[in-house]
Amino acid sequence: MRRRLAAACIVTVAACGLAACGSSSSAGTGPDTGKKAVVFAVFNPFSGPDASFGPEQLAGCIPAATAIEAAGGILNHKQVSCKVADSRGDPADAVPAAQSLIATTGGLMGILGPSSDEASATAPLFNRSNIPMFADTGQKVFDTSKFAYFYRITAPDDAVGYAMALYAHSKGYSRAVGVFGNDISSQGTAPTSQAGFKKLGGQILLQSIPLDQSSYRTEIEQAVAFKPQVIFTEADPQTSATYLSELTQLYHLIPIVGTNGTNQPPWFKAVGGAIGQSNLAKFYGGAQPFAPTSGPAYVEWRKELAAAATKVPQPVKQWESDSYAMAAWDSINLMALAAQEAKSTNPAVFNPFILKVAKPSAGAVVVHSFPEGKQALAAGKKIQYVGAVGAITFDQYRNSPGQFEIVKSDGQTPIVTYTAQQVAAAR
Amino acid sequence: MNGTAYYVTTILVYLGVDIIAVWGLNLQYGLAGVYNFAFVMFQAFGAYIAAALTLGPSSGNGGFQAYILGGSLPWPLPVLAAGVASGLLALVVGLVALRKLRTDYQAMVMLVISVCATLLVTNDIGLFNGPAGLSLIPQPLTKLAAANTVNWQWWYVGATALICAIVYLFVHRVTSSPIGRALRAVRDNEEAAEALGKDVTRLRLCIFVFGNALAGISGAVLVQFIGAWSPGSWLYVETFVFLTAIIVGGTGNNLGVMLGALLVPVAFNEATRYLPQIGRPGLIDALQWIVIGLLALAFLWFWPRGIIPERRRRYPASSRAEV
Amino acid sequence: MTAAIFVPSVGFGLVTASILALAAVGFTLQFGVTNILNLAYGDLMTASAYIGYQVNKAGGSLALSLLAGAAFGGVASLLLNRLVYTPFLRRGTKLFGMVIVTLSVGIIIQNTLLAIGGATFFTYNVHVGSTVHPLGFDLNTLQLMIIGLAIVAMIAVQLLLTRTKLGKAMRATAANRALAQASGIATDRVVSVAWLLSGLLCGLAGVVLVINTTAFRSTTGSDFLVVIIAAAILGGVGRPTGAMIGALILGIVTEVSAAYVSPSYKEIFAFGVLVIVLLVRPSGIFGHAAVTQEAPA
Repeated sequence: MRRRLAAACIVTVAACGLAACGSSSSAGTGPDTGKKAVVFAVFNPFSGPDASFGPEQLAGCIPAATAIEAAGGILNHKQVSCKVADSRGDPADAVPAAQSLIATTGGLMGILGPSSDEASATAPLFNRSNIPMFADTGQKVFDTSKFAYFYRITAPDDAVGYAMALYAHSKGYSRAVGVFGNDISSQGTAPTSQAGFKKLGGQILLQSIPLDQSSYRTEIEQAVAFKPQVIFTEADPQTSATYLSELTQLYHLIPIVGTNGTNQPPWFKAVGGAIGQSNLAKFYGGAQPFAPTSGPAYVEWRKELAAAATKVPQPVKQWESDSYAMAAWDSINLMALAAQEAKSTNPAVFNPFILKVAKPSAGAVVVHSFPEGKQALAAGKKIQYVGAVGAITFDQYRNSPGQFEIVKSDGQTPIVTYTAQQVAAAR
Repeated sequence: MNGTAYYVTTILVYLGVDIIAVWGLNLQYGLAGVYNFAFVMFQAFGAYIAAALTLGPSSGNGGFQAYILGGSLPWPLPVLAAGVASGLLALVVGLVALRKLRTDYQAMVMLVISVCATLLVTNDIGLFNGPAGLSLIPQPLTKLAAANTVNWQWWYVGATALICAIVYLFVHRVTSSPIGRALRAVRDNEEAAEALGKDVTRLRLCIFVFGNALAGISGAVLVQFIGAWSPGSWLYVETFVFLTAIIVGGTGNNLGVMLGALLVPVAFNEATRYLPQIGRPGLIDALQWIVIGLLALAFLWFWPRGIIPERRRRYPASSRAEV
Repeated sequence: MTAAIFVPSVGFGLVTASILALAAVGFTLQFGVTNILNLAYGDLMTASAYIGYQVNKAGGSLALSLLAGAAFGGVASLLLNRLVYTPFLRRGTKLFGMVIVTLSVGIIIQNTLLAIGGATFFTYNVHVGSTVHPLGFDLNTLQLMIIGLAIVAMIAVQLLLTRTKLGKAMRATAANRALAQASGIATDRVVSVAWLLSGLLCGLAGVVLVINTTAFRSTTGSDFLVVIIAAAILGGVGRPTGAMIGALILGIVTEVSAAYVSPSYKEIFAFGVLVIVLLVRPSGIFGHAAVTQEAPA
């Protein structure tokens, strides 16, 4: 009987806990005179196969928030923080995670995310709660999204596929094998790398491989029989390490063209360990959205990253030229400046100003960071934010695709860059 | 702020879904002693069927996702269809796996079938859009309140509660019917039940089909709420979450397992979201899982028969299955 | 697809089968004797591989890594039984509850590894050696070593089970524990030995698995668990010889179907074979005794 009582207590406590958590939310409406802390949340996978997405976004968020605080905050809100919200990488887990994030985060100004794993289930949730989201999903369906609070300043997956084809073609390769893991993020680039390469006159054998097998030697025999000159690939690190090390044994290494999914420290670590870092450096090129590693915005980004060096996921060096982290940094700056200009941290009020802050207009001062922008606004000037990813040109669906680059196996050093128009040639 | 209302309604719908699911699984495991380690597969199948039957033809939305069927049935037909479809799938699976095998052996076969199904759906893009899964699944009941509003959320909570109530009547009826008694007899002493002329295999198959139909219904209710479904949502370990709920709540007791559904998939899961963020990103997520593992062990240790154990029945209970 | 790929794919199948055999024999041996479905097995493989990795990182040879992995697996398995599983059994936790116990232990092991090592990938520093072509296969020396290790281990297990008193006691306990006890077998000791032996094989399998996959992380072992279980069922649960045959069939079917149908369906084919075998022989190839016998706990 006593046990039963104890159980009943636990249940009651749990239920009360739930209710208490649910009731602690609020975000003001009306004129913004509050001084409460404001929060940006990283809503991305921090666990599961795509666990590397979250830290990358966080690495962009923290430097921006730190610099905003150092510049005195947004309006009267002196405290600005980044909150981690693990989406766990699938729709069924992501929906309650999103709801709890929205309900229990006071002063929530915006979201970095969602990713491809959970975007279709959760983007509507953020949208209806009037929370701006800067998504890192690559899904094509968001090319024409109707959501007023959905923004994307990185390229969709399918565009990355065309950039891969373009690069291989420019190197003079005509026979390629596409090796893509059978997971959602990897499959995003497969069809367009194939279509693009064919359009450019090449021949390609596409392999969709199950993840984390003990061996892929049979698949490799097939690939070898095709006599490829180049591999297009995206899969999780373990799968790629197994595949590529076995390829080295059975054939010989050939140039590898990866994607933003493989331009990741865990992938470089696993594959570098499997085939040797020097081989990886020699044979690897990865396509990803381009962010210039020079210019005033880049200088600002490096400065703010250095200032927050102890707070971001380690090691810091990996983020220095990471275009996704830089895009995340730009996203925070855009939202913060929009709020500053709208004189409100209420997203429903400042949302239209996000477009305004990015847009060139007559007499506008070009700014590259939040402190710069805040100063200009205080001086009564109009501003245009040009970020680390370059000028942000939103289309009617709030997409700003930008340029592409092929980077070396440090994930940063560009080999070649392509404009959106050049990539369109492979479509 | 509507955030709280959205969160609370979401939790309520998830709770309803989990309750329907554990009732279904409890019919099989708690009542009949059928070890269904493929349970989540039946939930997922129901979800996919309900999704495909509401999404319209697969050329819709610019044809960006491929799937079979493709209908636009009004609510609650997709839910019913999901139940029927999962029941039919259960019939086929049951005919293969539920034959005269040791029950633990059956359990392992089910586990393999569940994983095999995940692989099949992931790799055969034409079935349910492969690894990307189905999305933009239209929400039902939008005549009552505009989709995505708090009112709609409450309507959906109501609909879920209604389905729960109907399912409870059904489950209660099965549990207390002669069939229920026969099933308990099979669970507690198969040979004796057989000697009394009960067709054990048929009884088991019967309850296997019923329980999995409920799994399908729970999947349908969930998918029409969240609007998306992918292979990542039904990995085989999810079955064990439901099993833990049953064992924690009280095997064989419909109210007990309901409490289990509140505790395990809902409270454990939601509560660990509020652990403070410490260390590097990802560390806290690992610790969350460790806590969930320890909680399950603690409950099994302190309440081996569950929080609300099954009521003792009048017939001799010498060889009762406890956990 | 040409016939030229057939022989090599069988060769690759042998490598997969060797890893699978080590793991499946360990799994089924313990299950046969104790009747506990140990879902923590895959995670224990990963943990052993991680110990082997630390040895390798510290400059230890491959042999030393294998030894360390096996030793860790054996000891951890023994301790798990002593400190967790047996106390739960004594408390009256039945078969199904035990499944949840082992699963919880597996989750705890896996996430402890994640908390210690981080969400990253580990790679052993080993030389794969040159590719050789015995019988038309394309295998490297490391893979030949894996096959050799599996063969030696399988022979050793067979000899132990059929030629020694301990092995006979284990088989007797597996067949009928109460009867074995009544005929004077110290079943508790036999059970401990079963856990130890199973853990040793688990540790070995963990290290060779991650040497073959090249990179591994906290979930590598548990991702492999269902295939291990499939091999065990195919051969007849609780039957080491059956698990060996099951591993061989699954290994070869997986690779040959990858060659002739499509890589993405290779596991489905392997599991399909399992379903067909079960339709014909519900208890697996070697598992006549398993039919209709209610599981004792």
